[in-house]
Amino acid sequence: MNRISTESCIASLLASAVLAAGWLAPTESTMGHAQRILYIHVPVAWLGLVAFLAMAGSGLAYLSRRNLGWDHWFQAAGELGWLCGGLTLVTGSLWAHEAWGTWWEWDPRLTTAFILWTIYSGVLLVRAGIDDPHRRARVGAVLAILGAADVPLVVMATRWFRGLHPVAPEMAPWMRLTLLLNVVAFTVFFAWLANRRRVQLELASLAADLRRE
Amino acid sequence: MTTFWWIVHKDLVSEFRARRVWPAMLLLGMVVALVFSLQVELLPEHKQQLVGGLLWLAVFFAGALVFDRSFAAERDEGCWDGMRLLPVSSGTVFLAKLTVNILALAALEGLLIPLFFLLSDLPLASRAWPLALIAVFASPGLAAVGTLVSGLATGGGRGGHLLVLVVLPLAIPVLLAAAECTRLAVENRIDEAWWRWLQLQGAFSVVFVTAGALLFEYAIED
Repeated sequence: MNRISTESCIASLLASAVLAAGWLAPTESTMGHAQRILYIHVPVAWLGLVAFLAMAGSGLAYLSRRNLGWDHWFQAAGELGWLCGGLTLVTGSLWAHEAWGTWWEWDPRLTTAFILWTIYSGVLLVRAGIDDPHRRARVGAVLAILGAADVPLVVMATRWFRGLHPVAPEMAPWMRLTLLLNVVAFTVFFAWLANRRRVQLELASLAADLRRE
Repeated sequence: MTTFWWIVHKDLVSEFRARRVWPAMLLLGMVVALVFSLQVELLPEHKQQLVGGLLWLAVFFAGALVFDRSFAAERDEGCWDGMRLLPVSSGTVFLAKLTVNILALAALEGLLIPLFFLLSDLPLASRAWPLALIAVFASPGLAAVGTLVSGLATGGGRGGHLLVLVVLPLAIPVLLAAAECTRLAVENRIDEAWWRWLQLQGAFSVVFVTAGALLFEYAIED
């Protein structure tokens, strides 16, 4: 019962965020409806960065505690972060096509975001090739902690280097509210997904242990 | 400190005697430089824009040969366990290996920077000190990532071979900043933007060397 109510709460939150992005927020004067991509782009970009920090954090926790439970958080955050990073690039590219007339530009923010996504891909791929769970956790943790240095670079790219990517543009109050609602809804939804994936990994690990015994 | 110098000394002497990797690295760097110049037939202003990126990619790929073999002698000759049993912190072992790799990169950059400028018909003498500064700031960062990942791969296993996939994306912040700095130096624009890129690569080098020294202990566990 409790689980059903949690899921329906998350579904309602997501539905209201999507409705707000599609209908409640006013249409932007220059870009028209294409500007609504922002309501997906910003939340997934934020989650892509947060998930990498979560991955590095759980890697650090694994290295200090040696508890594989942390590695399940690592894997869940890594997979969802990879998805969010990929969605950031796709939605950003769609937006760029409307706003700048090109699908891709080697702008500092775009370049650093793409690098972060390749680090995600590399870390997940390397881990997938290692059978021993503790070695997999250790290698992933070291790489993620090292790769986390790219996160501040992505965040600060628009401030440190001049490029095309907008820096905190002016927005109407309803637009700002809709964006905030979407960020909250996506964060809750992905946190829930990460937890589900973690539980699934935990069970798979238990099943593997039982099979070995 | 003594152990640090002994490891550096041992690696340099064994490389000097056996010539295992450095000649291959220098040769690969030269081949890449020649291939780039043969394949990329450009106007002078386009060469100015491209030389930075191509130069640092060549340095990275040729340097990767040395990074990859950082612990090969210990592993192949069976003294890896011996070195791990030394009464010295793993951070010291990392810093010693890193120093050897930085020296290798210095030799490579000493060869490739003049070669790229010569083959691209660009003036080198007037740009010598900015280029030297770029090399000094970039090398520790590149070598730190390469050395740490090589340590991780020394543990063996199937995933070890895939680690090379992740070295380039991890090192890209340094490579990107070094390439941009080189482009500005070639265009003779030693301005605020140039210093900012130099600071960025310096900052990443500090982060990677510190992270490498702290994480190396975990990287080499069996």
